Amino acid sequence: MKIETTLSGSFPKLPLEPGAPNVRVIRNRMDQGKATQEELADATRETTKRILALQEGAGVDIPVDGQVAWDDAQTYLARGVPGFTIAGLIRYLDTNTYYRQPEITGPVSWKHPVTAEDFKAAQSMAHRPLKAVLPGPYSLYRFSRDLHYKDVNEGLRAVGEAVSREAKALEDAGALGLDLVEAPESWDLIPEVPAGKTVALGLVDARNTKLEDPARVAEGVRKARSMRSDLSWQLCPTASLEYLPVDRAAMKVARLTEAARLAS
Amino acid sequence: MPRGLWTTTVGSFPKPPHLERARNRFARGEISEAELRQLEREATIEVIRSQEEIGLDILVDGELYRGDMTTYFAELMDGFEISNPVRSYGNRYYRKPVATGRVRRTRPWTVDWWKFAQSQTKKPVKGMLTGPYTMMDWSFNEHYPSREALAMDLAEAIREEAMALAEAGAKFIQVDEPAISVRPEELKLAVKALGRAVEGVKAKTITHICYGDFDVIYPALLDLPVDMIDLEMANSRYDLLDRFRQHRFTKEIGYGVLDVHSHRIETKEEIKQGILRGLELLRPEQMYIDPDCGLKTRTVEEAKEKLAVMVAAVREVREERGITA
Ligand SMILES: [Zn+2]
Repeated sequence: MKIETTLSGSFPKLPLEPGAPNVRVIRNRMDQGKATQEELADATRETTKRILALQEGAGVDIPVDGQVAWDDAQTYLARGVPGFTIAGLIRYLDTNTYYRQPEITGPVSWKHPVTAEDFKAAQSMAHRPLKAVLPGPYSLYRFSRDLHYKDVNEGLRAVGEAVSREAKALEDAGALGLDLVEAPESWDLIPEVPAGKTVALGLVDARNTKLEDPARVAEGVRKARSMRSDLSWQLCPTASLEYLPVDRAAMKVARLTEAARLAS
Repeated sequence: MPRGLWTTTVGSFPKPPHLERARNRFARGEISEAELRQLEREATIEVIRSQEEIGLDILVDGELYRGDMTTYFAELMDGFEISNPVRSYGNRYYRKPVATGRVRRTRPWTVDWWKFAQSQTKKPVKGMLTGPYTMMDWSFNEHYPSREALAMDLAEAIREEAMALAEAGAKFIQVDEPAISVRPEELKLAVKALGRAVEGVKAKTITHICYGDFDVIYPALLDLPVDMIDLEMANSRYDLLDRFRQHRFTKEIGYGVLDVHSHRIETKEEIKQGILRGLELLRPEQMYIDPDCGLKTRTVEEAKEKLAVMVAAVREVREERGITA
């Protein structure tokens, strides 16, 4: 039985080939007043196209758009939703990486789609249906600083409502799978997943450059299947591949699809 | 008369624009290594002069010859390769160390720079290193079976450098661990690795920590086996003092009073208030006054102005409270 492969969220924006359209170079030139917003839009589109082609070439079943315009996983959505303001830099997880912390400074009220146009643009360049990716309401809330709601549950509910309205907008824009499900962090959690669900197996380490052996990853898939025959499975990296160098990220994608072939 | 409230900085100073340009030209092969070194030495002398003029008590070399705080060291070691660029934030990228073999110190990393800086001043110059836990956490690991194994080999290597700095005469050695605050569940590992890195080092040992959830790691943080912990106080509006009220801060403290991420120059009055609030809970002999973090993200002028206000504020507090340096 075939296992479908997918990625989550963002992908490195730098090109593998020197001289290819490069958003980093354009943004630097914009800072010096030497490039226009239009050139940035062009480079963003070319980069998205390149990320889609890389996934299609490797045989990823459910590709993503790579979130080329996003600064991080939280703020792009939060910037577009009234109630959020964006504050100072905070160090992000396990690396010398930062994000700007969203702050909830008023009632969170979704007014219009934030990511739907980007999604449509990416979908028009792709040859198969893309997965849309939004931050899960729980992680968006956890990475934000709530200065408005007195009660955590009330805050979570408001953020959850905004995310689900955005999800609905993406659905209206034609997005098929919407990745709100947080993948189980360990094997111990697999027995607790309700029957009939689709579970994303993160068996390729997105935080380390060391390359996995596809045969061992395929073994992991077989192990999961033997634990629960009443679930559907997808194979993916443990997180977004954005914080790997682009050459390694590309190799990880190839290993991922190779493992899926071996497991099928 | 009580002594205390010595002034210092966390380590990095802004690189003057001509040095940034020279580094870029060196990267493109347009100038030689010797030419770049000469400019770095001149700029280091300038940073020492500037710290003396401002009136700081404990100086640093400014780290003008370093790029990223982990990659600089990894490039000088055996066992590391350096990756292609990885995104840090927005449009900022850096090259990340990759441990591909046993990591080892095969030559000094900073001793010559420290000696050069110290030769330019009579005031003490701090030795500045990145800690083993942070080096491990900010590297990719393709060689070691565990995070601990990599961290402990790094600790050995860093200890050799710390010993060499102490032998050269450094009275203060700072081993930065900004990554500690991010994964509270690994605090024990960080304590063990940092402990090995400074074990038997004959100097006052310091560690700087920033950006994290102190609610989770305080007071366990006090287990870090160093003489002084340097913390950012100003940018959390001195919130940490509430924790100190619940559980006494038992070590010496590097007490950050300047927000390094803001262009705004603090007022003398607000810095004084920050120090006076600290003095309600801490003894002056315990306190070293400094910015929240390295100054490298500010301009040369902003850094000077901020430090000058800081020193003026400390002088007034010393005078009002009868504290000497
Ligand atoms: Zn810091």
